[in-house]
Amino acid sequence: MPRLNPLSAPSRLRERRHQRSRRLLASRAVADTLVSVAGLIGRPVRNPSAAEIGTIKDVVARWDGGEYPPVTGLVVRIGRRLAFVPGTQIETLAHREVVLQSARLDLADFQRREGEVLLVEDVIDHQLVDVDGVRVIRAADLYVAKVGAMYRLVGVDVSMGTLLRRLGPTRWRTRPTPERVIDWAAIQPFGRPGSPIRLREGNRALHRLRPSELADLLEELGRRERQELLAALEPETAADALEEMDAEELESLLRESGEEQAAALLAVMEPDEAVDALRDLEEDEREQLLAMMPEDKAAELRRLLGYGERTAGGLMTSYLLIAERAETVADVRARLVDDADHQADLPGVLIVDNHGRLVDDISLFELLVADPDTSLNDLGGEPFPVTVMPEAEIDDVVDRFVDERGSSLVVVDADDRPIGRILADDLVDALSPQSRVHVRRRLT
Amino acid sequence: MTEVVPAVGAPVRVRARVRDKISRAFVVIGPGLIAAAAGNDAGGIATYASAGAEFGYRTLWVMSLTAIALVIVQEMCARIGAYTGEGLVSLIREQFPLRVGAFAVVCLIVANVGIVISEFAGIGAAFELFGVSRYITVPISAVAIWAIVVFGSYRYVERVLLVLALVFITYPIAMVLGHPDWEKVVSQSLLPHLLADKEFLFLVVALIGTTITPYMQLYQAAAVADRGIGPDDYPDERVDSITGSILAMFISFSIIIATAAAIGGTGPLSSAKEAAQALEPVAGAAAEALFGIGLLGASALAAVVVPLATAYGVAEAAGTERSVSRTFAEAPLFLGLFTGQVIIGASVALAPGNLIDLLLNLQVLNGLVTPVILTFVIILANRRSLLGDAVNGPVLRVVSALVVVVISVLAATVFAQNVLGLG
Repeated sequence: MPRLNPLSAPSRLRERRHQRSRRLLASRAVADTLVSVAGLIGRPVRNPSAAEIGTIKDVVARWDGGEYPPVTGLVVRIGRRLAFVPGTQIETLAHREVVLQSARLDLADFQRREGEVLLVEDVIDHQLVDVDGVRVIRAADLYVAKVGAMYRLVGVDVSMGTLLRRLGPTRWRTRPTPERVIDWAAIQPFGRPGSPIRLREGNRALHRLRPSELADLLEELGRRERQELLAALEPETAADALEEMDAEELESLLRESGEEQAAALLAVMEPDEAVDALRDLEEDEREQLLAMMPEDKAAELRRLLGYGERTAGGLMTSYLLIAERAETVADVRARLVDDADHQADLPGVLIVDNHGRLVDDISLFELLVADPDTSLNDLGGEPFPVTVMPEAEIDDVVDRFVDERGSSLVVVDADDRPIGRILADDLVDALSPQSRVHVRRRLT
Repeated sequence: MTEVVPAVGAPVRVRARVRDKISRAFVVIGPGLIAAAAGNDAGGIATYASAGAEFGYRTLWVMSLTAIALVIVQEMCARIGAYTGEGLVSLIREQFPLRVGAFAVVCLIVANVGIVISEFAGIGAAFELFGVSRYITVPISAVAIWAIVVFGSYRYVERVLLVLALVFITYPIAMVLGHPDWEKVVSQSLLPHLLADKEFLFLVVALIGTTITPYMQLYQAAAVADRGIGPDDYPDERVDSITGSILAMFISFSIIIATAAAIGGTGPLSSAKEAAQALEPVAGAAAEALFGIGLLGASALAAVVVPLATAYGVAEAAGTERSVSRTFAEAPLFLGLFTGQVIIGASVALAPGNLIDLLLNLQVLNGLVTPVILTFVIILANRRSLLGDAVNGPVLRVVSALVVVVISVLAATVFAQNVLGLG
């Protein structure tokens, strides 16, 4: 397998993470104020006169959408009871103990409120996404610190050393080892089993990730976390990421997502990618999903599904920019601006005659250098585009590519009307040894 | 048109995913056959053949009970996978205190290292049938397996190995052609009878250890979770896991019966050559070659998949990188665990001594760890906060607890007799 280039994006992002963390820990003062959440378990909670009220069971935080979630209270074990101590009553929260502000306490039984999570039960040892580092991590420990008037969750520790510290004697646990702390601002957290937090939008930094990076994250997450992350993404962003996923991972993601969501995602994906994904499913699953899509979308996908997978029709991208001969270069450029989303699938613009038959394929280069007022009719001419029929086998397609040395082939139907385009990268995907081989489907 | 947005649709992904490699090895053919093939790794063959050779049909009733236990355990694991979408190691990290979870993971690694050693012993034994010394073949195959995984062209190799391993599907035919005493087979399978013999007890624990392996539980939960099988699809998956277990047991039974019919009562099994005689009704003079090919395929396949799956599961639970396309500096835990298992596996398999004895001892090691991991599985399957309404019912709670208790008592007895030297 080729290794990632050392200068690839994830490494750069990782570097950025380290910088952030270094910034966070720049001053010794900051490092000293970090309180280890794992170390707090079992520590005494005292009133101002130093009498022990109970011991700490958990720390409650609220995912409020901000960078550093506030600590809203503590779950304290008092005798056999679990009581809730609101964050406002905390005077100091230190490595070895918590001291409350007043001797008088209204101790309510602990009940979860909307948007709240228990840091020990729900977050430590569970998966998180480190968005800057583009990786899935598991929290070995969490750190809270006083920011302004409130205690807030500021960092997460993922080092093996911290895990070992927690395995060791209890007295080790209070000693924070913040050498590998990740700034909480870079973290996409999740809710708790059974009640995922849907309120919070995804970490803003998620939008900076490339679809392939999001795909990596989706593949590495557990099912519940994956579904939460998916829900936090815009449908288009999610669809772009899905297009980059490994075929088998995508198949299981669609299966676990439930039909409605799976159909919605497939409808937003590029048709050729959606068709690839649909091909991987069982026939009844495929039919159910198609039935839930808008009719025109379903019809388009059904048509593409009709072509054999290893034929021109199965390889092609059905997204085309088709222009009439009378249009000018300026007209077409304007349409290209609208189609910026599809630029990867648009090496050129197809010109058709009045009957929709292919006349020529104008490359973007030709459009760029032409005078804006030129009509497309004048741009057309030799060399005429290389075409294949949708039924052509992959070997024939490769032969045509080799002969013509172009970057794409136009697929036309029996009446010479363009129906799709095969890009060189589609062909590379299909020919590379990593391409999908549906052995399972053939055997079942 | 001045703004240049980077092309986002371009395929830029080059990472090879271990999960793909693991799942393709198995998922491709469907879990039923997989379960059958996985029961037939080096340790399984050696143990079942040994049972047939030494005790004839007399271990069959143990296998009947083991079959029931296997069905129960595999169904629980499949259910956990379907309802949580997670593998067992991750769940152990999330659902238990860290120290308790770490204990389970250590046990799991010990058991799986035991399996890896068995597989290398199996590779050595297979080549010895063809007259090549294991001191040559085991180190070479260790290096080859390591390189194939790390440099990643494993997918083609695994198909070949899988086909080789399917040789053992010939055991049921050999069983029929070997004309066993069917009356005895049936009565011994159905009527429990205690043999208070140290050797017998040892073999019973080996049989349990090689049949109800922690590795199979890990695999079952992960395979279901990875395929995206959820609560809605679970009824089908349940049927699948149960038929898979039954098919696996059918092959195991046929190995014991075929071997018993061929060389039953001739005393403890001492070599792969002897075990191969069970296939003579099918292959005649070619029995040894056929057996050798099957043993090689099954052992080599598991020698890749088991250390890979173990390293993957542990790295996932630890939350560290788990991709074979990473360097050691990037994924020290994952690659270190994988490499360590291969090195230990190959080294121990080279220790002087009888390979069949080594294989049996390792299955007993698995038998000792099995109740520990089973306890974790049962606690998870009993936890309503995790599985909701799919939690174990009262009957299953009792039966599964009984299974663990019985296996624990047997394992503890064998441990006391053989390791502590009591009795």
